[in-house]
Amino acid sequence: MKRKALKGSFEQTRAPLLFLLPNLVIFSLFIILPAVSGLRLSVYEWGILGDKAYVGLANFKEVFADEMFWKTFFNTLRYVLFVVPLLTISALAIALIASDNIGGVAVFRGFFYLPTMLSLIIVGIIWRWILGDQLGILNYALTLMGSDAVPWLTTPLTANISLIFITVWNMTGFYMVMFIGGLQAIPEELYDAAMIDGASKPQIFWNIKLPLIRPTMLVVIVLATINSFKAFELIFTLTKGGPGTATKLLVQNIYQVAFEQDRLGYASAMAVILMITIGVLTIFQFRMNSKEYTNE
Amino acid sequence: MKKLMMLLVLGLVLTGALWAAGAQESAAEEVTLSVLWFNDANESEVFMDTIQDYLEANPNVKVDLQLVPFSDYEKRLKLMIAGGNPPDLARVTNNHVAMFVNELLPLDGNVENLDAVLKGFSPASLAFATHPDGSILALPTEATANGMIVNVDLFADAGIDIRELSKSWDWDDWYDAMQQVKRGNPGLKYALGYDFSPHRWSTILYQAGGRFLNEDETAMNFNTPETIDALTFFKKLHDDDLIPPSVWMGSENPQELFQAGLVASHIGGSWLINAYANEITDFEWAAVQMPKRAIRSSVAGGKFIASFKGAENEEAALDLMLAFSDPEHNSMYCRDTFNLSGRTDVTIEYASRSDDFNALASDLNVTPAITAEDWKSPELNKIYSYIREQIVEGLLENISMKQAAQNIHDEGNKYF
Amino acid sequence: MNRPRYALRYALFILLTFIFFFPVLWIFISSLKSQSELFTYPLTFLPSNATFDNYREALGSGSFLRYFGNSSFVAVISTLITVLINTMAGYALSKFIFPGRDIIFYVMIATLMIPLQVIMVPIFLLEKNLGLLNTLWGIIIPPAATPTGIFLARQYMMTIPNSLIESARIDGASEGYIFIRIIMPLAKPIIATIAIFSFMWRWNDFLWPFIVISRQSKYTIQLALSNFVGQYNIDWSSLLSMTVIAILPMILVFLLFQRYFIKGLTAGGVKG
Repeated sequence: MKRKALKGSFEQTRAPLLFLLPNLVIFSLFIILPAVSGLRLSVYEWGILGDKAYVGLANFKEVFADEMFWKTFFNTLRYVLFVVPLLTISALAIALIASDNIGGVAVFRGFFYLPTMLSLIIVGIIWRWILGDQLGILNYALTLMGSDAVPWLTTPLTANISLIFITVWNMTGFYMVMFIGGLQAIPEELYDAAMIDGASKPQIFWNIKLPLIRPTMLVVIVLATINSFKAFELIFTLTKGGPGTATKLLVQNIYQVAFEQDRLGYASAMAVILMITIGVLTIFQFRMNSKEYTNE
Repeated sequence: MKKLMMLLVLGLVLTGALWAAGAQESAAEEVTLSVLWFNDANESEVFMDTIQDYLEANPNVKVDLQLVPFSDYEKRLKLMIAGGNPPDLARVTNNHVAMFVNELLPLDGNVENLDAVLKGFSPASLAFATHPDGSILALPTEATANGMIVNVDLFADAGIDIRELSKSWDWDDWYDAMQQVKRGNPGLKYALGYDFSPHRWSTILYQAGGRFLNEDETAMNFNTPETIDALTFFKKLHDDDLIPPSVWMGSENPQELFQAGLVASHIGGSWLINAYANEITDFEWAAVQMPKRAIRSSVAGGKFIASFKGAENEEAALDLMLAFSDPEHNSMYCRDTFNLSGRTDVTIEYASRSDDFNALASDLNVTPAITAEDWKSPELNKIYSYIREQIVEGLLENISMKQAAQNIHDEGNKYF
Repeated sequence: MNRPRYALRYALFILLTFIFFFPVLWIFISSLKSQSELFTYPLTFLPSNATFDNYREALGSGSFLRYFGNSSFVAVISTLITVLINTMAGYALSKFIFPGRDIIFYVMIATLMIPLQVIMVPIFLLEKNLGLLNTLWGIIIPPAATPTGIFLARQYMMTIPNSLIESARIDGASEGYIFIRIIMPLAKPIIATIAIFSFMWRWNDFLWPFIVISRQSKYTIQLALSNFVGQYNIDWSSLLSMTVIAILPMILVFLLFQRYFIKGLTAGGVKG
């Protein structure tokens, strides 16, 4: 019923386009234009300091045979696969307990949001220091308590676990704020009605809160996916992609190819593949979401 | 919400006023030289102090010093060059010279009496600044040398007079001394902090008699018995708990470990003398000669000052460059930044630590020219991260060290 | 008002606070130590000689105030622009039907997927051609149109009932009036969210300032901070104290705006 009303009375072009205009201008000029001229390079062999030569799809062919590309591609997939669900769940869980306006809740929200306020470079530097084998406060505390020091960042397995934990630690507050914003939008009457019907807390969560914050949930999952695919600064300062290449992700590889090897064309080809991958996943996420909507 | 916005606008106006108060743009008719700089310690301050008298004598010249962190320095330079907007002057390393070999402004033809100017500089440093066609692209400021710094007290506690021992030692003596220093200091878990850098790693490569490139620098020649010797020895130092894994595998800073007394020695370079002279107060330390394998060797390097083709104020830039590099200014700069000079015609009276400089210089004097030829190569610099990653893969035993050598060899050859 | 339930919740809050807050607290505690104490073994938890020297040094230098001023100017102006244009876009994309709507939305989301590192060179050239290099406007305007903000605004406004807009329209209200008088007040929670994020993004931004700014008089806090991380060494005392100071404005903005996270703001307007 709602949908029909929306179609009937809101079908116009001038007003919405005017509302969109400032964004469209800035986007086209500062993002899309450079992006097009940047990604067009993917069919060129080009270094910032070198000559430019058209090579057709040669860069793409090379990508598919590039061991380092695949290594970092799968490292990235693994990272995304762990980070997105853990992040979504932790952010939602904390938002649920921190969305009621009980005394002092603002201060606690502030505490949970604090890690997000640190710039990624600082987050990397600080955690590298805290988790240091010998100069790290965490290992120092462990040894004081009689336990063995843990090689937090020096084995491939522990480095990956530490990295995932730090990402979740860093970004939970960000997505928590989104969820709190979404939870505020749920009309109070719905809870009251449910309470009168004798619904239990879990029932309220599953039947009211969860369906109604689905728009926010979609934002969180889509953004968390995109952001973890693009992760770079934090990891680069934390582990430099190491030990070896154990935590080296795609964007770090792209970055090194572009600026260290001075192959901007080849780097652009990898960026295009990265974008296609994220794009496909995002469309899939949108589809899943709207499908569940119609199932309701 | 309205009140909030008002508050924000108010804050904005205040900060704007604050910000405008500081901004005073210079009047016309002056030359403002854009100078791109990175700091290892406080070199930018010393640079400004050093050229103070020049600026007083040339009141029409102003310096707009742009400080960029080292990790982003190349990127910034590449952006500026790509945008047709290179800085008038820049502090560059020998790696940068190799990278920007076609973008740097040759001094030939732009500087009068160039031969007379160049006479005072060390040939080794000048070699880094030379274009393959023979023209000079930059003037050396500091010379750097890779080297070893030791915690004299820790070695003494283990009954080793490290100053005496290091006067003539080889890898075996070195290895034994490291084992002994651990035995003699029960709390000491590791003997050596080794900078997480292929450039520093290459010190033992050259000592083993190896190198990255072939004789005429036209291709890699990395998978050799000498290379494997250096790689295997490096792995042994890790396996035997002499080097802490947290440096090459976990990015702990060996400089901080050394300062904390958690390692008995540190392989880094001459720039450490400045930092350690300022930071270390609770134990005695010294720079010592490095041990010999096939040969004795350090790795030479240097910092330079250069201008770029297409810079806005070429003439004024070159004038300041020459002034800053003359014997008087150069020795002042090197003295105050605790560095070896790129000139040979100056004697620098350091406030302290001259023995340490002598130890490093003695390594530098016997260092073969191939170290510079390798690190001058733009191709080698393109696989810098790759070398680091492959060595760590070898340390982790994901691949054999022989495989690592072969991989590095192959990857480098892609660029020749 | 069930006491034990709240007690449990506060216990959880305190546990979570420990996890989230400890590393930040560690930054603060360490900023009170001298550089040599930071790397003395055995380590110390509390400073043996707490000193605000690091802060005095940071605040004492005139350039710090300059950077702080630049960052404030950029973050405040940019946030005002972002909040306004993002909510406008979110409204257009959620409450109107017009040709190309979905394509516009997806293209905006797609711009999030571009690794900025790859297109730095074209961005630099563009800023240069527009004369925006070394200007604060060069780092205010381009990132102001945040896809994330638009996405958030759109998703939130989808939950605003159409009936409110319809009845205003029947009363003859103009589109601008409806947006300012009806949509904006109902969107307060999401405006607060976008404001908090936008301020933080611009305040912490490194990449845009790095591309655009090279003149030191235009440096932002983050550019200045990054200079404490050297080739071989980190200037810990300056880095830590400046980091602590740099967080304060974001805390302030967060606490100011989070008041608008009030339950059921839209509820009053819903008529079934």
